[in-house]
Amino acid sequence: MTVASDPAARTVDLREPSGWRRSKNRIMTVLMYVAFVIVLIPLGFVLVTVVAKGASAISWQFLTNGTIPPNVMPLGVGGMGAAVVGTIEITAFAALIAIPLGVLGAIYLNEYGGKGILARLVSFLSDVMTGVPSIIMGLFIYLIWVVHFGYSGLAGSFALACLMLPIVIRSTYEMLRLVPDSLREGSYALGSTKARVTLTVVLPAAIGGIVSGALLAVARAAGETAPLLFTILTVEATNKNLFSGPNTALPEQIFVNAQSPYVGAQARAWGAALTLIAITFILMIVARIVTARFTRYTR
Amino acid sequence: MSAVKEADPASPAGSANALNHRRPLGDRGFQILTLAAGLLVLIILALIAISMAQQSTTWFTTAGLKGIFSVDWDPATNNFGALGFLYGTVICSVIALIIGVPISVGVAMLLTQVVSVRWSRPVVTVIDLLAVVPSVVWGLWGIIVLAPWLQHIYLHIASAVNGIPVLDTLFGGPNVSGASFFTAGIILAIMITPIITSLSREVIATVPAIDKEGAYALGATRWEMIRGAVWPHSQAGVTSAILVGLGRALGETIAVALVIGNSDEITGHLFYSGSSIAATIALQFGEATGGEFRSALIGLGLFLFVLTIIVNLGARAIVERSARRTRGA
Amino acid sequence: MPVGPRQRVATVGVAAVATALGLAACSSSSSSTAASGSSSATSSASSSTSTVSGTIKAAGSTFQTNFQQGAISGFKSVDPNVTVDYDPVGSGTGRSDLYSNTVLFAGSDSPVPAKEASEVPAGKTILYFPVQIGPIAVAYNLSGITGLKLDSTVLAGIFQGQITTWNNSAIKALNPSANLPSSTITLAVRSDSSGTTANFSQYLVDAAGSAWKLGTGSTIKWPSTARAGDGGSGLASIVKSTPGSIGYVDFSTATASGLQSASIKNSAGDFVAPSTASATAAASHVTVKPNLTFSAADQPGATSYPITYQSWDLVYSVQPNATDVQLLQAYIGYLLGPGQSLLAPLNLAPLPASIDSSAKAQLSKITS
Repeated sequence: MTVASDPAARTVDLREPSGWRRSKNRIMTVLMYVAFVIVLIPLGFVLVTVVAKGASAISWQFLTNGTIPPNVMPLGVGGMGAAVVGTIEITAFAALIAIPLGVLGAIYLNEYGGKGILARLVSFLSDVMTGVPSIIMGLFIYLIWVVHFGYSGLAGSFALACLMLPIVIRSTYEMLRLVPDSLREGSYALGSTKARVTLTVVLPAAIGGIVSGALLAVARAAGETAPLLFTILTVEATNKNLFSGPNTALPEQIFVNAQSPYVGAQARAWGAALTLIAITFILMIVARIVTARFTRYTR
Repeated sequence: MSAVKEADPASPAGSANALNHRRPLGDRGFQILTLAAGLLVLIILALIAISMAQQSTTWFTTAGLKGIFSVDWDPATNNFGALGFLYGTVICSVIALIIGVPISVGVAMLLTQVVSVRWSRPVVTVIDLLAVVPSVVWGLWGIIVLAPWLQHIYLHIASAVNGIPVLDTLFGGPNVSGASFFTAGIILAIMITPIITSLSREVIATVPAIDKEGAYALGATRWEMIRGAVWPHSQAGVTSAILVGLGRALGETIAVALVIGNSDEITGHLFYSGSSIAATIALQFGEATGGEFRSALIGLGLFLFVLTIIVNLGARAIVERSARRTRGA
Repeated sequence: MPVGPRQRVATVGVAAVATALGLAACSSSSSSTAASGSSSATSSASSSTSTVSGTIKAAGSTFQTNFQQGAISGFKSVDPNVTVDYDPVGSGTGRSDLYSNTVLFAGSDSPVPAKEASEVPAGKTILYFPVQIGPIAVAYNLSGITGLKLDSTVLAGIFQGQITTWNNSAIKALNPSANLPSSTITLAVRSDSSGTTANFSQYLVDAAGSAWKLGTGSTIKWPSTARAGDGGSGLASIVKSTPGSIGYVDFSTATASGLQSASIKNSAGDFVAPSTASATAAASHVTVKPNLTFSAADQPGATSYPITYQSWDLVYSVQPNATDVQLLQAYIGYLLGPGQSLLAPLNLAPLPASIDSSAKAQLSKITS
């Protein structure tokens, strides 16, 4: 159809786009694919390197031996068991703190807050908090906890929980929003209190998405180093006690060993990196499975 | 007719007095619990600001504005000038944006406009994988594998641009190192790509189909459609996504600490070693025993905190402003 | 119905996991705080004659780091009640920590220099306990070139910035068959106050004579293009990651980092590679002063490595605390006794027997 209004206007060219327009289109399409390939390269590179170099370091002793050897020692002396235990304990406790609080916060925002000033402020600040660098969380917990109570795995958990909280709030909020109001109203009609509606109807309806969001937050926390540097100090032997005494974790060990020129230290760094990546990947895969099979309401 | 009172959702049916608006204790308690959880965010942010401001006053008062923004950072002589770190932080983030933005936006466009739904899932998986690799692993790979390899390339570039005016200042110089601003910028670009891509995707997906089809109907090629229909709509959102990515780059600590080389020089040479605010805090905190040293590091942290908040606020402001504009339209 | 069986299972599952996490976290808190380290289980079987307990704070030379780390873990099985803390801050900082009484002993690769004599607290005598000998390796990063040969004159030229490329004629003259590249030489030096720097520069003063113009000391004004690293491992990192670089670092660190070391011409005219054997050979020729200080550099002998050096643990002869006397005698006695067997595997050299026994005899001079 030609543009009818103004006969003097240029008519629209309905032929196939001219040569250079088509080439331009093709070039841009190719460039977009190239962008994707450029993204693939470092990812592939890093994964291949970590697996190749880390695999030779991994052994049952590496994963379980609780004495971390001095940097200069070659591979085979001691192991990273202390760091594995530390990572698991510290991250688990952080999840224990952050996930319930985050879910409750999101429930507040979605169910109770509405359009009120306070709710808007909390939502806004929660978004702002996701952008705060993780090192700030570490410094913060150092100032208000470590200075008074000393280094401990607990302090590390607090720092990681501060990091996870806004992430869990945001993802839970998005999931709660997707639950249709008809569910809530039906439950109200049957005479439930708001708390009951939320806990017995809304939460289970969104549980898939909530869990998967929480798992991703845990994966993120497990890989964080900066918050731990100021809160757990370091140890050379497994400290099972989360609440007293310094501790260590995989990301911290990787960081320290990466800066060392010793061959043994670098090998241990690669092994720890492979272990850490395995943990985070497993969490990510489980999150995906949960999303696929247990989530009722998706965007 | 009998008045059908609307059942108050907050009161259980069958309560003795239908006009009784007092809610059961458990319900009220739960509401307070959720409110407290929500307020936690406020409390934590406020405490962060207060505690860090309090601890850094020693540095502010002792060094003064001049001291803080000087180039000389030497704990041994009690000089804590942070300009070099500020410079390093900004330079690396700028490099990261220059490299990362075209790639992230390109992939976002690819995902939303080019690939079919079937292929979009593997592509999204790749982006998610990229996001899940911990920053310390990027740093480890960066310093042991990437940096030595890049050093060769930097040396070749440096000898190639030797003598050419502007290029020599940027890419030349005898002290090129694999651990440098540019390498940190590359690693940062890789790390901020997932966040920019996923945020951009969300925005681009909200472009109304009718605009896109209208462009096609007028005979546009896909690229022309993107330029004419998608971009104007998603411009603000993508810019906001870029700012969020910038915020991440400014605050990234560990990967940068490992690959930036740790020198507090301010230099135009991008292939030279430098340092960033976050990297300095992470690497020097263990040695900071003196009052002013520690206060200076916390002051740096406060600075970073404020900077990243401003950038994130900017990101939100852009989105709000454009949303207001489209709402009003 | 909206909440299907899957959702119920999921909710119950989440509740179960949360409970499990909670139980795990709580149970970890009740485990004893003494459960720090699986190695403690074996230590109870040792025949410990020492009944001291306490903490020894020490700091200093990074040359001693590897030895101290090994000794600290070894000493735990001898005396589990003593904690030793060695902070490798460099010889210079270690000595000043001793002057300010922050540490019980300082590791130092050189005796107290003349200009520091005024900083030693009045009335205090310092006892020198030699603990280890080892080579300073001239480590380099050149792919494909092994067994690089250098002598003191060429070293002086390189580290003064006069010889700037690898294919310089002076280096070529010593390595006629090597395929030296034309790339620039990057110097790797120490940024901190270091005994390794002091001994390396002293060797250059002794062996290169007037060719070496930068003098000697714990810190040197190196050419401005030199890259400085913190501690021996910092320097080793620079060499390891910078193709075409060269630096001076203790041999133990160099080998543990996978670096190549050059063979240096000794006073007998032979090019000797650094090793435990060549360092031991050098040490066998040293002349020891009454206070047990000596220099192992530039010693005679065909198999002696010329840049061999040594390190001492510096202790005040009069201690304010009687417990400290016992702690020091126990730990330093260990370093001089069973600890010496840790040295060879670390690519260091044990003390010659006569020096070792003189040092052991000096232990009784620590009094309270």
